[in-house]
Parts: sequence; structure tokens; C-alpha cells
Amino acid sequence: MNAFGLAPLLLIFPVIGVLFNGLVGRKFVEADREIGEKWTGWFGTIMAFSAFAVAVSLFFSLQANGHHAEVVHLFDWINIPSAGFHVPWAMRIDTLSVTMMLVVTGVGSLIHIYAIGYMHGDKDFSRFFAYLNLFLFFMLILVSGSSYLMLFVGWEGVGLCSFLLIGFWFSFVDKNGVWKNANAARKAFVVNRIGDFGIVLAVILTFWAFGSLEFDVVFETALEMFKSKEPLLLFGQEVAFGSVVTAITALFLLGATGKSAQIPLYVWLPDAMAGPTPVSALIHAATMVTSGIYLIVRSNTLFEMARLSVGSELLFGVISTPDLVALVGASTALLAGLIAFTQFDIKGVLAYSTVSQLGFMIAAVGMGAYVAGMFHLMMHAFFKALLFMSAGSVIHGMEHGHHHLHDHDDDDFDPQDMRTMGGLRNRMNITSVVYIIGALALAGIVPLAGFWSKDEILAHASANDGGIFTAVYVMLVIAAISTAFYMGRQLKMVFFGEPRHAAAAHAEESSNLMTYPLIALAALAIVGGLANLPHFAAEHGAEAGGFSYLALEHWLEHSLHAFELTEEHVLHMPHTPIQIQWSVAIISTILAVGSISLAFFVIYKDTSKANSAPDPLQKTPIWWTSVLPLNTLYMDYFIPAFNRMAKWVAISLDWVFWHDFVHNRLVRDMFVTFAAFTSSVLDQKGVDGIVNGVASTTRRLSGFLRQTESGYVRSYALSIFMGAVLLVIYFMFATAG
Amino acid sequence: MSEITINSYVILSTILFVIGALGVLLRRNAIIVFMSIEMMLNAANLLFVAFSRHLGNLDGQVLVFFVITVAAAEVAVGLALIVAIFRTKKSIDIDTLNLMKG
Amino acid sequence: MESNQFNVILTLLVFFPLIGALLILFLKQMGHESDELVKRVATAVSAIALGIAVIVLFMFDKNIPGLQLVDKGDWIPLWGISYYLGVDGLSILMLLLTGFISLLAIISSWKTITEQVPQYYAFMLLLQAGMTGVFLAQDLFLFYVFWEFTLIPMYFLIGIWGGQQRVYASIKFFLYTMAGSLLMLLGILYIGTTADTFSLTALIAGREAFADVQNWLFLGFAIAFAIKVPVFPFHSWLPDAHTQAPTAGSIVLAGVLLKMGTYGFLRFNIPLFPQAAIKYAPMIAVLAIIGIIYGAIVSFAQTDMKKLVAYSSISHLGFVMLGIFSLNEAGIEGAILQGVNHGLSTGALFFAVGLIYERRHTREMKEFGGIWRAMPLYSVLTLIVVLSSMGLPGLNGFVGEFTILLGSMGSPVLGPVFTAFATTGVILAAVYLLWMFQRVFMGPLDNPKNMILEKISKRELFIMLAFLIFIFWIGIAPSGYFGLMDSTVASLVQSIGLP
Repeated sequence: MNAFGLAPLLLIFPVIGVLFNGLVGRKFVEADREIGEKWTGWFGTIMAFSAFAVAVSLFFSLQANGHHAEVVHLFDWINIPSAGFHVPWAMRIDTLSVTMMLVVTGVGSLIHIYAIGYMHGDKDFSRFFAYLNLFLFFMLILVSGSSYLMLFVGWEGVGLCSFLLIGFWFSFVDKNGVWKNANAARKAFVVNRIGDFGIVLAVILTFWAFGSLEFDVVFETALEMFKSKEPLLLFGQEVAFGSVVTAITALFLLGATGKSAQIPLYVWLPDAMAGPTPVSALIHAATMVTSGIYLIVRSNTLFEMARLSVGSELLFGVISTPDLVALVGASTALLAGLIAFTQFDIKGVLAYSTVSQLGFMIAAVGMGAYVAGMFHLMMHAFFKALLFMSAGSVIHGMEHGHHHLHDHDDDDFDPQDMRTMGGLRNRMNITSVVYIIGALALAGIVPLAGFWSKDEILAHASANDGGIFTAVYVMLVIAAISTAFYMGRQLKMVFFGEPRHAAAAHAEESSNLMTYPLIALAALAIVGGLANLPHFAAEHGAEAGGFSYLALEHWLEHSLHAFELTEEHVLHMPHTPIQIQWSVAIISTILAVGSISLAFFVIYKDTSKANSAPDPLQKTPIWWTSVLPLNTLYMDYFIPAFNRMAKWVAISLDWVFWHDFVHNRLVRDMFVTFAAFTSSVLDQKGVDGIVNGVASTTRRLSGFLRQTESGYVRSYALSIFMGAVLLVIYFMFATAG
Repeated sequence: MSEITINSYVILSTILFVIGALGVLLRRNAIIVFMSIEMMLNAANLLFVAFSRHLGNLDGQVLVFFVITVAAAEVAVGLALIVAIFRTKKSIDIDTLNLMKG
Repeated sequence: MESNQFNVILTLLVFFPLIGALLILFLKQMGHESDELVKRVATAVSAIALGIAVIVLFMFDKNIPGLQLVDKGDWIPLWGISYYLGVDGLSILMLLLTGFISLLAIISSWKTITEQVPQYYAFMLLLQAGMTGVFLAQDLFLFYVFWEFTLIPMYFLIGIWGGQQRVYASIKFFLYTMAGSLLMLLGILYIGTTADTFSLTALIAGREAFADVQNWLFLGFAIAFAIKVPVFPFHSWLPDAHTQAPTAGSIVLAGVLLKMGTYGFLRFNIPLFPQAAIKYAPMIAVLAIIGIIYGAIVSFAQTDMKKLVAYSSISHLGFVMLGIFSLNEAGIEGAILQGVNHGLSTGALFFAVGLIYERRHTREMKEFGGIWRAMPLYSVLTLIVVLSSMGLPGLNGFVGEFTILLGSMGSPVLGPVFTAFATTGVILAAVYLLWMFQRVFMGPLDNPKNMILEKISKRELFIMLAFLIFIFWIGIAPSGYFGLMDSTVASLVQSIGLP
């Protein structure tokens, strides 16, 4: 008995939610605020939970059938028989996709509950839940699609939902008159589209190289070509297999940098925090932004083949794609981690932290540590969703506190600014406890979830020598230190010390609807590490003492062919230690604890006092934010330049030159001028002159002749008579002659 | 008594024709001009008949009938015109009809 | 010579709207001056014509690559001119699109057109007849007659019911298209007189006869079609015509008339002059890609919504041209489908713009903002259309664009570099369409004039939904659409003779 037949329900439940909330939800809410919110909110939530239930049943079905991947065919999509192109709508149920489904629907459901509390009183309450369900739908397509093209459907679909949700409060205008939310939404979509450019090209290239877009077929065909070591005949020329695979994976990387917010395309994610907080938690921390990692893990065989490229097959002739992936990830982790120091917005810190953690994951998959990457993805989903939603709870509390202050009418109050907080631990008990758990998990404090997953990545980096591994290891360690530092700073500024603003002094704890999901996630953030606990001693088998170590690895191995192929010595994945690396673990723990303490007890010691100087770091120049000022580069140079160029093309080139000058001036006016010349000179003087000349001559002649016309009948008669006489004379002579 | 030959007819007809022609050219009364035209036609008729007899051939006599028919029609139209002219001009002096003057 | 065949259904399809137009003009003569009656008659006639097109679809056998339902008879036998109608995989979708767009365009003008109503609907029906004829004619001379015939109603539709500068725009439209058509006429006459027949099937069979001058002939036809499409740099008439035309005129112009150009390339240029097509394919593809990027950039800088949509047509039609000159199955089928998609998406966009223009009498984007708050349903529907136009997977635009890009990369005459440049159009489409969407629909609702906008009416909702049904259908299950053209396109590609 298996539940694969239920798989379509995974997509159908969210669609029902979208239809309900989109079509009739608004009427419910308008009719009765309280009951309407309950109905629409819980309806959407139940749909998410139902999808979660389906995912769980799929999980057990896979357990039962020995982890064999199952493809559930839905119906035909694009089918062009003559071109041999055939892509159906089909779902691929394997251990990797089910893992993602569980994360998406599980964390997603909790966030739905939280959102019922968070969005309470919003006039577009039902629209919000319609979007959330729509997001789930597309995210599930992304992770369950059986082909690259279906993955791309989800990929673009979640981008759309991200656009809609960032722009949820699209009417908002900040005090400078900027449409902040609408701009952020558009920025997210457009930047993601730059990444999609890579995906589209990669998908098309994949089809022409391997003749299909189905994951199974692509990987098998690629493997055969790889084994045969013969060049491909592609687009009429022979191309080395390594070059093709390098090109495809590099284009995938471009897509991943867009969706997973890596250098150089990470710039949209910090702005995306303009959206409602549940959105930041669900889309911009836990699920959507990890789809780049999912894409790379899914394509693991291609990336591992690309790792073996040599010489001219390499990217730009110098680097293999997985190495580039690892470097991009590591440098993003480092850079974003450092930028997070400088943020004052409570969500801003978390946003850069997310970019940084995504960098960890990307670096992991680039190094071939696919399981570690997925492990970190899951753990990150737990604790970062937790952090974001707790931050949302803090913001709510601050807004409440601000509402209480009728005498304090400062319009500049920003409930997200950490400089106005402080001492919230006393006002918001649950929130502060779960926040601290989340922060410690993120910082990598043993034995919380983040410790295990981050440590596995670091262990992998340190266990391999040469190549880029050492560089990546160093960068990631520094990033880990900075992670601990900025979280320590944030904890101190938000929850400890004295309130620095009256609003903070009057903040209130949020409702149960918001705090219960936080507690659930906090529990996951504590015990999540059990999912892939490493062996502690060399002699341990797969299971010891009734506990399965490396459970996630054994589970995912069934979807990661690169493992199997490495055992067969076809591919050579970098070595992953299965045993805990004590040196790495101890060093990173010491550094994390030290770093938190440094922030907490040394640098931000004074912050605890009310009305103290806002941030000691402001005194020292923070040079690293200007190391790679990508956002400035885009916003201040690239976009204005594009605007100017577009205006020039549209107004000067197309309209003034091509439309007005060439068509109206040159063609039309030249024709008009020519016509005027013809009519005034040629026609008037020339043709008309001749005609007029004939006429005037005739007139002069006739003026002379008219004098012969007297008008008297007799004179006409006489002329007739004369004529007759002349005729007679003529005939007489003619006949005589 | 001299023999009446064809010459006599020719001479008579010529005299009649000249009288008619002079009448057309010199007189101003429309009726008289009209009668003069009739005289010229009849001069021609006389000549037709005379030569018909002289040549022993009936063609001339046939033509005379045609001419008389045409003359009759001409009289009808012509007199109608004269009446119409008189009505508008209160005169039948053809010199008043000089609208054709160039 | 082929024997005469009689199958009256296609003739009926062409001439039914024509009869309807005459009927409407006679209504006035008979003293029935009620505009309501005229609207009803016009709508009924157009709907029946669409019904006939659907019957044709059911009679159509998609497994036959050649012409079907042929109606053929001598017309001027002395010169080899015949009355020759037929339908195949290249034209079946165009027929349906013509019927569909014309009907919606007629319904969309019920409220907007208040002057000279009978003439207006008569011209709309004449246009429908002419366009149907263009897609069915299989005789070069007959094709030319229909081709020119479509100009006249469009000329009057712009010139009488258009905007401020309607006379300028209509004359420009007329002259521009005429100038191109004359070159084609020369080509047609040359071919017809050398081969002694104007029948397309006979000419394709005997195309070796004029193979030596095919480059010139190709160019003559190509310029006529390129102006119609319009391919960069022949696009200058388009923004004028679109901004001045009434809404329904724009819908038909973008929806069907432009497709006559791309259809012409497929129907005549490629089968008649395959070597020249291969030779010029990279050049035309470069123009197409310039059009994609150029149209997108120019769109981005517009302040008038309708002009923005007009320029976006240049970008979208660039994709269609790229697909056609990929000269392979995927490219050509994608191009045909993208033609349909563009008709639906851009037609719907023009309708959406017209809808708000009716309420505010302006199309300047700075006059708007926050319309989502004032007209939520309308805004969501427009958003879906915008997304379809920018190629969101799951909606129609993506299927067409992706297939075209797929074709262009695998094309024996083009290649990955062409595809890479064309794909930037996907990014740019998001840039200009979202920019428009943001300025009009998002942001604060702060203009008092926008606060009292009338909600979308039932009739308008019907039209939008009609567009959306197909936008979703083609996006989710386009196999049936590809199936209709597959065998014809396969045989066309085979006849080009590329490896």
C-alpha cells in the first residue's frame, strides 16, 4: 500500500485555498471581520496542513517501497512530435523532493497559523492567504516537478508570489515619497529574471545536448556520454562533453545566484523585507530562497561531472563550475555576514544573515557536500523562520507599545529600529526565549540545530585539501564568527538592558496564535540536529543504540546518484567525513561563544543603558560595506544609466530621429517639397506655361478673326454664297482641267 | 418664233436664282428673305425638270419631289421661327438678330 | 493543372461577414436606423463566422500535412488566376484567432462607438472577411486582393473613429503598407507570368523555374511582410496607428493584422524561395533580435500606456520572426503559437488600456496610481494578462517564447548566440511591463479622479474572461494546439531541405 496516487493532492489543496480566498474570501471578511478572518485564515491554513499530510504520507510510502523514486504523470504539457520535444506535467516523488515538500509544507503550515494572528485587522486579509496558498502551490511544483521545465514553472511562480507578497502593501509611501514596497517587489522580480535568463538557456541547452528535460533521462544520457568520453555533435560542430556540462551548470549557477540571493544578485533580498513578516519568514528565509540549492542538489551528477572538466573545458579556462559555486557561496557568506553588523533594522540583520546562511549552503553544495547543504537548508528553515517570526512578534509588540503613547506623537517612530528597543525580555517573555533559542541555533552553539549543520559543512571543507577548499574553509569560519557576533549584538540591543524608547517600555506580548507556532519552531531548532547526527566514534555502524546516525544522508543518498557513481569510481566526489571532526567542532564552538561574548559583554556593554550612544560601531569606519557595493552600483549607476539609455533610445532615436526626422522630415517633407516644386516650378512655369501660351495665342488670333463676325444673317448668307461660288468656280476649272 | 430649247430653261432658272439670292442678301424683312429662299429652291426645281425632260430620264423629277417636301418642312419650321422671333423682338428685321456677333 | 474542387465551407467563412456588412448598410436604407439593432446584427454575424471557423476546425484533419477543404475554380483562366481557398496547419489557428478577436473587438465597441454606428460595424465585418481571406487564399493573385482589401476598412476605422491625429496615422498606415505591397505585387506578377499560373501549390512544385532570381523575389515579398509585422526598422507606422486607432481597431490590428505579415513569411517566402530563406535567415534573425531588445527598451521609456503596449508588440513579434527563421520544427511551431499568444495577450492588454481610457480619457501613466484599490477585479485580471505577456510559465506567453528559443538554439542556421541575445528580451519584458503595472495599479490611490472609477461591467468582464480562458488553456495544455500544425510544419521544414 502506498500513497503515490495521492501526490496530485499536494498541488490541489493549495489551489483550492487560492480559489476560496481569492474568489470569496473578501466577501467573508467584509461581511464580518472576526468570523471572516477566522474562516479565510483557517481555510488557507488547513489547506497547507492537508498538503503537509500528503507529504508525510508520501514520506512513509517511500520508506515502504525501499526509497524508489516514483514519477506520477498528470497530463501532457508541451508536445511537439516533429521536433521530438515532449514535456508532461509530472511529479517526481523521491527522497530529495519529499524532504523539500516536508520542509515547505511543514514550516509553511506553522507560518500560516502565525499569519492569522499577524495579519489580524488588515483590510486585505483574504488576499494575503490567497497569495500564501498560491506560493505553496508553486513551491511544491518547483520541488516535485519531474523535469527541468516544470522546475522552472515553479521557479518563476514563486518569483511571482514573492513579487505579490513583497508588494502586498503596495499603497505604502515612505516619508520621502518613495513607493518602497512596490519598488522592492519589482526589484525582486527583475533581479530574479536576470537569474532566470541563465535557467532558460541552461534548460534549452540541456534539451539539445541530452534530448530530454526529464531528470532521469537527462542524467542517464549525460552519464553515458560522460563514460564514452567522445565529443558531442552539437549545433553542427563537435563539442567536448566537459564544455557542455560546464556551460549548463554555470548557467544554473547564474539562476541560483538570483533566486538564492548570492553575489552578484543578492541585492533584492534585503529590500524584500518590506513585505509582511510571515512572508519574510516563509519565502525569503525558509523556502523560496533555498530553491537555488535544491536546483544544484537535484543536478548533482551534472555538477560532479563538471568538477572533472579539465583544460579548455573549464569556465574561462581556469575554474570548474562546482569550485566557482563554492567560492561564490563562501564569499557571499562572508560579505553578507559582515554587512549584517551594520544594520539597525531588526529584519535587516536577519535579511543579511539569510544571505550569509544561503552562502553557506551554496558553498556546501559547491564542495560536493550535498547532504550537508540540504541539512543546513532544513535547519536554517527552522531557526530562521523562527527568528523572522519572533522579530515580527517584537515589531508587533513595539507597535502596540507605541499605540499606548498618546502623548508621544513622533511620526518618525520606526518599530523595526533596534535602537529604539532594549529590555524587551521583561515585556515579551515567550518571544524573547524563542528568539534566544533561534539566535543561538543560528550562531552554532552546541547542541542546537545550527551547530550540527554548520559544523558538517565546515568539517567537509576542512577534510579536503587543496583546490578551493582551504580558501572556502577560511571564509566560512570568519563568516561563522561574524554570525555569532551580529546575533549577540542583536540579542543585546533588543532584549537586554533598559528600554531606550517609551514604546519599548510599553511593548506587549503577542497573541497565542503567533506564539504557539514560535514554540513549535523553537522545539525544532533545538532537536533538529538529530536528523543527521554524525558518528562520534569510528567503530559505530549505521545504527547504534537504536539511533540512526546520518539519517538524512542515508535517506537522501537514494536521490543523489553522485554517491553511487563515486563508489563505482565513475565520479570523484570530494571526501565527506562521516565522523565528527572534533578539532573543527571545538574550534568553531569556541569561536562562536567567544564572538557572542565579545558582542554581548564588551563592545555592546554600554548599549544596555537607556539613551546611550546608539552603536559603538558607528564610530569606527565600517570599511567592508564598501568592498563590494553592489547595491549602490546597481541603484546609483546601472539603473539610472539604463533609464537614460532607454529614454535616449525611445525619445531621441526612435521618436525624434526615426519617427519625426526620417519619416516626417526626410520622407514626408521631402515628398511635400518635391510636390511643391513640381507644382510651382515644373507645373506652373513649365506645363502650365505651355498650355497658357497656346491659349493666349489662340485668343489673340481669335480676337483678330472675331472682327469678321458681324452677327448679321445677311453677311453669313453672303459668305455661304461666296463659298458656293468659289466651289462652282473650282469645279469648273477642275473638270475643265 | 424661235424654238424653245434647253437654253431658255437654263437662262430662266438662272434669273430666278439670282433674284432669290439677291433677295436673301439684300432684304431685311424676314418674310421676304424667306420667300427669296423659296424662289431659289424653285429655280433649282425648274432646272431639274428641264434637264429631266431633255435627257429623257426620270431621276430629276423624283428629286424635285424631295426638294418640294423639304421646302414644305422648311416653311413650317421657318415660319414658326419667324413668329417666335416676332414675339420676342416685336420685329422681323433680321439685322436685329446679331447675337452671334463675335 | 489541378482539377477544380468544390467545398463551400471556406467560401462561406470568407463571405459571410461580407454579407453581414452589406446587410448592415441595407438596414439603414430600409429605414431601420436603430444603432442597437446594428450592434446586434454585427455581433451575431461575427459570432456565426466564428462558429463556421469552429466547424472548419472539426472538419480539419490534423494528420494531413497539405491543404484541406479546398474550394477551387477558374477565375481568369487566361492568366492562370484561380479562385483557390484551402486550409492547413499554418492557417487553421489563424482562422480561429481571426474569428475570436474580431468578435471580441466588436463586443468591446458596443459602448465606445456612438457616431456613424452602421458604417463602423460594416467596416469591422469587412475587415474580418478580408483577414479570413488572407489566411485562406492559395492563389497569389487572390491573396494580393485580400491583402490589399484589409487595408481599406482599417484605414477608415483609424481615420474616422480614431484619436486626435487620426488622419495622419491612417494615411501613414495606408501608405507604408501600400509601399511594401507594391514590391510584393511586382514579385507576384513576375512569378505568375513566368510560370503561367498563380496557384501556390503549382508554384511551389515548380519553384526551380525562378530559382535563379529567388533572392530578389524573396526580398520583394519579405519587405511587404516585414512592414506588416513590423520588423525593425520598418516599425514607425505602428505606434501612430495604435495610439490613434479606437480600442477595437488596436485589438484587431495587434491581434490579427500583424500576424498576416508573419503568416506571409511562412506561407510564401519559405516554401517558394527556400535557398534565399536559408541565406537571409541570419540577417532577419538579427533584425528580429534587435526588434526584441529595441522594442522593449523603447517601451520602457513610454509615458502613454497604449504606446507602451504598441512598442511591446515590436518586441513580441521579434520573437515570432526569430522562430520562423529558425527554420526548424520547434521554432516555426513556437512562432505560430506565439502569434496566437500575442494576439490574445496584447489584444487583452489593449482592451484593458481602453477600459480605463473610457473612464478617465487619458492614458498617461502619471495620472494613475493605486488603481488596484479602486478596481480590484480589473487589476487582478490585468495582472494576469501582463504576466502572460511577459512569459510567466503556466500562461500562454511562456510556451510560445520557450519553444521559439528552443528552436532558435537548435536551428541549423542560427545558434546559441542568437538565443542568448533573444533571451535578454525575457528580462526586459519584466522590466517594462512591471514598471507599467506598478505605476498604474500599485502605489497610493491619491488622485481624486481615480477614486470614483466605475467598476468593471459584466460585458467587460466577459471579454476579459474570454481572453483569459485561452491564456490559461494554451499555458497549461498547449499540446492540442501544437498537434494541429505539427504535420504541416514538419513537411514545410522537410521541403526547405536543410540537413
